[in-house]
Amino acid sequence: MIYEVFLKRDGRDEFRHVGALDAADDELAMLSARECYVRRGEGDRLWVIQRTHILVDDGDLIAPNADKPHRHHSGEAVAQRRREARERA
Amino acid sequence: MARAWESIQDFESFLDNGGIVERTDAMPDEFRNAVFRFIELHANSEQMGGLTERDWIPRTPGLRHKMAVLAKTQDEFGHAHLLYMIAADMGIKTRRQMLEDLFAGRSRFHNVFHYRVETWTDQVAVAFLVDSAALASQQAVFKNCSYGPYRRILKRIIAEEGFHMRLGEDRMMKLAAGTETQRAMFQASIDRWWWPSLQLFGPDSKPNDLLLRWHIKSERNEVLRARWVQKFVPLLHSYGFTIPDDGLHQDDDGRWHAGPIDWEPLKKTFANVGPDSERRISDAAAHWHETTWVRTALESRADTQPAAGSTKSNVSV
Repeated sequence: MIYEVFLKRDGRDEFRHVGALDAADDELAMLSARECYVRRGEGDRLWVIQRTHILVDDGDLIAPNADKPHRHHSGEAVAQRRREARERA
Repeated sequence: MARAWESIQDFESFLDNGGIVERTDAMPDEFRNAVFRFIELHANSEQMGGLTERDWIPRTPGLRHKMAVLAKTQDEFGHAHLLYMIAADMGIKTRRQMLEDLFAGRSRFHNVFHYRVETWTDQVAVAFLVDSAALASQQAVFKNCSYGPYRRILKRIIAEEGFHMRLGEDRMMKLAAGTETQRAMFQASIDRWWWPSLQLFGPDSKPNDLLLRWHIKSERNEVLRARWVQKFVPLLHSYGFTIPDDGLHQDDDGRWHAGPIDWEPLKKTFANVGPDSERRISDAAAHWHETTWVRTALESRADTQPAAGSTKSNVSV
């Protein structure tokens, strides 16, 4: 079975995907993850999960985010109005 | 999510713009095949390298070095495991098929593993010369590699190979400061391993090298080779050792250039008929057969696992 491996470097960082491995079962997957990916203090937390258990987007699910400008604000218009107010004062 | 490209031109412009291809992308077959072959060669070489290293565990002098050789053996098999993993993920051969091809002599592995490591000083020369040459090639692939899974695994491998090279240099320094016998033995090892190390970089890259064009390799073979010569000639000279190359010379700017290289030995290793190919392959095959019981045990263990992991799925990470 194929497992995906995630490591967390230290208390501040997020978990990061580091790679995959092939193992007969969960217990051996954990051991193999340690021997392949965490040999010299590369992390202090380890997640190992069967590849087929990960839910993956199909691309369309998150694509529409790009056309939602109302979720963003560059702050330019606000800054302009702030400047005008300061000049008037 | 999977990406696809309309044409090879679209794909190439994606690569030229620094695009990184992922496992689930619908990459052109030519790219998939070429990258797969390259990774398989690398995986095979780590596997054969690990076996060489393993041979030296009982023979390594001193407990500290013996422990380091143990660690290095584990590192090399770890690299092989990860590389076979990403190679198998490309869907051309399974890991099992790759290993069976390797042990049947149907696959290639790097030239340096077709020679016999006769003495401890040979082993030091391998760690110092061969590992550094391999590291230089891997760094040049890592720099710009357009296949994401390989690039990420290379990052790991390079970190560990750096550790191996420093161990090699440490041991080389000890021999350099040793007795006349030790120095003479190490000189003999340099004489044996210098040319195979140079040949490891391969002949000059062809103008139409697809791996260069597709940003798997970032530098031409001859450039990497010349840079390595430039670094290692003065280094070996500084310890009072000589280089077995009558054509070796320095230009007006003080740069070192190797003499003409005989490529016949490299061709022989590619055909698995190098000086020690037969013994190496049959040893590896014997080891594979002796460990059948381990694989059988693992397979029966896997059969008792919950079904979730074994269900066919198009899920991609």
